[in-house]
Amino acid sequence: MAVEDPRWQEWMRAAQQGDRVLYGALLAAVIQPLRRAARARWPQADASALEDVVQETLLGLHTSLHLYDPARPFMPFLYGIMRFRGGDAMRRSRRAGARETPIDDVPETSDALTTQSDQHKGLEAGALLAAIARLPDGQRRAIEMTKMQGLSLEEASTTSGMSVAALKVATHRGIQALRKLLHGAV
Amino acid sequence: METERLIEQLVGGLTPVHRIARPVTRLAWWLLISLPAAGLVVWFFGPRPDLAARLADRSFLIEEGAALLTAFVGIYAALCAGLPDQPDWKVWLPMAPMALWFGVLGQQCLDVFLRLGPGGLQVTSDAMCLPAIALGGLVPAIAITVMLRRSGKVRTTHACLCGALGAAALGAAALRLYHTEDAAIMVIVWQLGSVVLFSLLAGAIARLFADTRPDSISRTRL
Repeated sequence: MAVEDPRWQEWMRAAQQGDRVLYGALLAAVIQPLRRAARARWPQADASALEDVVQETLLGLHTSLHLYDPARPFMPFLYGIMRFRGGDAMRRSRRAGARETPIDDVPETSDALTTQSDQHKGLEAGALLAAIARLPDGQRRAIEMTKMQGLSLEEASTTSGMSVAALKVATHRGIQALRKLLHGAV
Repeated sequence: METERLIEQLVGGLTPVHRIARPVTRLAWWLLISLPAAGLVVWFFGPRPDLAARLADRSFLIEEGAALLTAFVGIYAALCAGLPDQPDWKVWLPMAPMALWFGVLGQQCLDVFLRLGPGGLQVTSDAMCLPAIALGGLVPAIAITVMLRRSGKVRTTHACLCGALGAAALGAAALRLYHTEDAAIMVIVWQLGSVVLFSLLAGAIARLFADTRPDSISRTRL
């Protein structure tokens, strides 16, 4: 476990009071110890998955600022967040890895990208687009923005005028409806 | 999203926060709300006629003490579970008083069995226990639910399980003060059974108790 800088407790106290300068300094200071700790905890994980863990931990820290007691050391608090939030991120990453193939690994001269299975995927994509077009307007827009255009919830919220919560609900319902539509089509 | 850009967003979205109190302090608040509420339930139904005699009985006192200890330690564990820097052993702490509680009642069952044989351990219906414990544990359960919504999104299932255990154990301890059912096997099956049932139910629906508001800043992926 990394040695804790004695100033970090004080910086966390300042962050709890809204001091953005010291909060920024704290977050920047803990990135490297977090990366090292993540690598030590999940030695088999690739760099992208480990960076996901670091980001999830920083997000977890941000939403847990009110839980920190400045009388207690800071690093156990941060590592505790990494253990729980990072663990979730790693599980998501493993699930995604089981159903996705990184195309960076495919040689440019390979004909792997024009196989029969990809032609099937093309047909499935067509069915998916047709199903999306049949969704109610709100759900369709939410799916298009968050899933197809890759906008963050905040960006999609700004673009559409819908709240983040409404976007989440619409996306969730849209995915449920798509499942039913596609399942019915099979 | 790059980590450096995420940090910029997090810093930009920083607002002052109200620091949460320590678990012991929050436990004291819970007791301040829950003990009078449980007392009111006892007062409403009326204390059992032989209460004075039962309070002089050592085994009854140990049993009530174990139930109350399960309640207090359960709530403390629930409050610790939501804090990332609290050790795991604290989450399992309620198992100790609960084992004592089971042990005291089990010992009473064994005594009855040795004296009367299997006929002394007959279980009959006692439909009052489940709703009575639910009623006695209602305010304590609401209080711990409100408190847990300010806790972190870690060990949510454990927090809900321990919180429900604490609330139901207090309801069961109150029930013993106004319900004249003393057969240990009946107490185990109906009263402890209700406590375990409520705890498992809360653990199963833990995600509904947790604060599901979205983070103010999220990464690109939904």
